[in-house]
Amino acid sequence: MKAGIKIVLSVALLSSLSFGGEQFAMSDSDRAMYAEMLENNPADLMVANGEELLAEKCGGDAGLAAFLNVSEDELPVYLAGFPRYLPEFKQVVAIDQVLQGLMYKNGHKPFKLKSSDMFDMSAYAKSLANGEKSQIDIDANPQMKEAYVLGEKTFNQKRGGRGLSCMSCHSPDIIGSVLRTQPLPDLSNKGVAVAATWPAYRMTKSSLRTLQRRFQGCMKNALLKVIPIGSPEMVALEVYLTKRAEGTEIAIPGLKR
Amino acid sequence: MADKRKSLIKLKPKKFKDGEVVKVSFMVMHPMDTGMRKDKKTKKIIPAKYINSVKFNYNGKDITTMNVWESLSVNPVFTTYMKINGKGKLTVTYTDNTGEVHEKSKKIKPKG
Amino acid sequence: MQRRDFFKKVGAVAAVGAVMPVMSFADDAKLVGPNAMSYKTAVDAITGGKTPKASKKIKLKLPEIAENGAVVPVTVEVDSPMTDADYVKAIHILAGKNSNARCVDVNLTPANGKAMFATRIKLGGTQEVSALVELSNGDFLIASQSVKVTIGGCG
Repeated sequence: MKAGIKIVLSVALLSSLSFGGEQFAMSDSDRAMYAEMLENNPADLMVANGEELLAEKCGGDAGLAAFLNVSEDELPVYLAGFPRYLPEFKQVVAIDQVLQGLMYKNGHKPFKLKSSDMFDMSAYAKSLANGEKSQIDIDANPQMKEAYVLGEKTFNQKRGGRGLSCMSCHSPDIIGSVLRTQPLPDLSNKGVAVAATWPAYRMTKSSLRTLQRRFQGCMKNALLKVIPIGSPEMVALEVYLTKRAEGTEIAIPGLKR
Repeated sequence: MADKRKSLIKLKPKKFKDGEVVKVSFMVMHPMDTGMRKDKKTKKIIPAKYINSVKFNYNGKDITTMNVWESLSVNPVFTTYMKINGKGKLTVTYTDNTGEVHEKSKKIKPKG
Repeated sequence: MQRRDFFKKVGAVAAVGAVMPVMSFADDAKLVGPNAMSYKTAVDAITGGKTPKASKKIKLKLPEIAENGAVVPVTVEVDSPMTDADYVKAIHILAGKNSNARCVDVNLTPANGKAMFATRIKLGGTQEVSALVELSNGDFLIASQSVKVTIGGCG
């Protein structure tokens, strides 16, 4: 019985995929129109807000550089290598967690990881690395190695009512299929630049979202239990995908459907 | 409250000469609520709150004025062109249907 | 199979059914906004009853398929010298099937140097979008394009 329903489901899913592909793929000129919108990305407003918040709560760029033990000149390249293992945190952390630590150190109550203020501030911090190549050193230490392995495992782990994993929709086999007008992206494709274009403005949500927040949306819709932002699995997923899209130029904020 | 809204004025190209025609964009964080959407949690209709007029003023002269309705997207963008006509200031003002007023200015400095 | 599991699966099937590419915002359609105005009423209000002429002088740029109805980019460019003697007085953007067809009126002056306006609009479903242009000599021109509104991708 159970298996029967699963088969019906996968057939239904596949047929809708091909239907989308034939009938409703967007044309290149349509895509170009959306790409043009980057010129006036509403997320620029949120990044400007993040810049003010960083100045107010973290001592600005200089405060961030000092907290990370790098000079302000080194900061962009250093930020392009996140998530990183930081001994002070005793774990691999993404930029938002660093900002929490810095806020705490400065005597402020840290923003929640899942708050728009934190999204804004993280986006600004990551935008400091704009123009740099996304790079992540998974051989830097055992913790980074572990995070990469955990990230790969999380990516492939089938979970939830439908038994889906990230891989189910983002495997090389079905990349390019169209799911409701959207071609499923090859997450390691340089053009997709998954980790180099997040945080991004989500047009359907009319707000700025981080990569980990996007994972949550994906999990929710695929009926997987949503993993909290900042948890080891979430940071590991970010490590894994950043590694796969290594070498792409960072351009924050992105603009996504 | 009103003045805390984030807004930006962008000129393209950023450097320009006197007499040049440049692209000018104004964007602002605004909910643009239509009055036709329900709050998912409370099930109550979110009251309409949308920008209803925008004015581009360059050196004391209104070069572009707009009447706006609720159909523009959340965090709207308004893009048009302007002919650079000497040093001065571009001020964009908007009002919304609840009486909120917001103003943003940018210095205009043509080179050569 | 447990009852809860069953409903989860049924729910999943229903969700797949909802992958139908073209959908309207059914909930919104029942509600009438504060400024409900039909397309025809809007055009008449703007032109004072004159019939606008379809014109190739207007370059209306919209996606044929919008990946979501909440943010649809629209650009209107009008071929005009923008001099005191001959300029585009106004560009009106109308969404034929929105509860209020009027999106924005843009009043231009020769000081704009170029007759262009770009913004992003919300479309409550597949429909025709029009740019109605008023020239300084009092003529009205119009250009329209239909936009398929889909619910794209996941999430």
